[in-house]
Amino acid sequence: MTDMILSSAPAGPNPRLHAALAKARRRIVATAWVLASLSLFVGIWELAWWQKWANPLLLPPPHIFLTNLPDQFRFFDPTGARAGALNAGGSIWSVLGVIGWSSLRVFVGLVLGFAISLVVGLAIRYFEIFGKLVLPLVTMLAPISPVAWLPVAVFFFGIGNPPAIFLVFIAVFFIMVLATLAQVDAVPKHYIQLARVMGASKRQIYLRVILPAILPGLFVTLRMNLFAAWMVVLIAEAVGVGSGLGQVTMMARNTFNASLVFFTMTLIGLTGFAFDQTLGLIQRKVLWWVGPSTVKGA
Amino acid sequence: MALGLSITNLTKVWNADGPAPVPAVNSLSLNVARGEFVVLLGPSGCGKSSLLYIAAGLEQATSGTITFDGLAITEPAPERSLIFQEAALFPWLSVRDNVGFGLSIRGGQPQERAERVDALMKRVGLGGIGDRRPEQLSGGMRQRVALARALAMNPELLLMDEPFAALDIQTRARMQEHLLEIWKSSGASVMLVTHSIDEALALADRIVVFTARPGQIKAELHIDAPRPRDLRSPEMIELGRECEALLAEEVTKAFAEQELL
Repeated sequence: MTDMILSSAPAGPNPRLHAALAKARRRIVATAWVLASLSLFVGIWELAWWQKWANPLLLPPPHIFLTNLPDQFRFFDPTGARAGALNAGGSIWSVLGVIGWSSLRVFVGLVLGFAISLVVGLAIRYFEIFGKLVLPLVTMLAPISPVAWLPVAVFFFGIGNPPAIFLVFIAVFFIMVLATLAQVDAVPKHYIQLARVMGASKRQIYLRVILPAILPGLFVTLRMNLFAAWMVVLIAEAVGVGSGLGQVTMMARNTFNASLVFFTMTLIGLTGFAFDQTLGLIQRKVLWWVGPSTVKGA
Repeated sequence: MALGLSITNLTKVWNADGPAPVPAVNSLSLNVARGEFVVLLGPSGCGKSSLLYIAAGLEQATSGTITFDGLAITEPAPERSLIFQEAALFPWLSVRDNVGFGLSIRGGQPQERAERVDALMKRVGLGGIGDRRPEQLSGGMRQRVALARALAMNPELLLMDEPFAALDIQTRARMQEHLLEIWKSSGASVMLVTHSIDEALALADRIVVFTARPGQIKAELHIDAPRPRDLRSPEMIELGRECEALLAEEVTKAFAEQELL
């Protein structure tokens, strides 16, 4: 409704300024909706506390777990080392450090997962024998939960960043290989026929037609699997790494610190939201063309 | 040796080795001379598109021979260019890069390529829109870009699969005029598939009417009238009626066959 009013408004003397204003207004409206969505949730929670429906020890409302910040900050160790001791942390920087470590693990795992799954997926279709050998394996490994890989990750990589990155990689890799295949098979037939008529070799068809045709769709798949990656990194951190947001959550659980649990959950939610928005931005700016099997916008 | 496209006793059966083979074209012979404009007219699914794909080298005939300038067609080649009903422009490339796609596959000097692309875009009447994206163009403009992309390869045979079917009727008429101009100046042969009788009358040197599946040639009509043609002239109306009668028989047959299924 708002959009309709904005776009039908007559352009002023400076159409460029007008367009910029309209864009800013759209952004503000979008942000307002995000805030409204959040407020509704927080409001119900606070109401439950106020009406004494919920035990504040188990379910502390946001105004409690977001106000005793210095208390919370003490549990965050910025070095990425095994935390738990209360001496290392204590400032906003230590919180950002912990978020940074978790984000880095997700980011590296996603980049590796995306790149390698793309190469493997294309190779499965490009080299027939490779495809016949590898595809059944990928299909069998795909349904195994990343959590089941946790011991494997620890056997192989010990404690630290590598097992967490490995788990994120596993969480996206097999799904992304299968998604790559689905995307390759969905490339419009006419694109390939046209390239063949123009004299393109198989290699050129893969690099110059199939690859750009599938990238936007794959990126959408990656964005959907981002949340799975976040879930997995928390488990890895809680069990196999010993640092990061997952570790803080686990420690909060062990020490029965509900405030800290919800505070960390808030941080995870916000960080995941920021990741999703960033990927959305990349998608719009870099991969503007829309793949055959993807939805426009988002 | 026959110049141009020469098709002799060509048969195409889809899924020939499978449990339910579908005959598409049955023992068909047809020649398209250098510089000739031939329109294939027939009911849907009569195998005319199959014939086009075989001529492009994208599909193989089940039996029979097909040659271009005396050489057997076994694979696609830039000299035999194909244009689809939807322009099939690559959405990730600008209009200019779409037109230049075939040239860049072929290689050569980027400078020369850019000049050639500019010249082609002017030729199809799209001089100023090289930097736009395909999605920003109208259907008619997209089809002109597809035409420019095909022309870039200096085709000797243009194969067109209902190229204007998705356009509105006014745009369609303009595109037909445009195609005729380009056809005359390029000297290429054209084999165009349509099921619009008016389109066939406006464009063709020769209309080849197909039977229902499996496709065979039912009739050939030569049109000598100079272009642009007045489709309301008595001569054209008479030809149109003739085509309509021929087609109607085949459509009735196709329907009867479908009812048996």
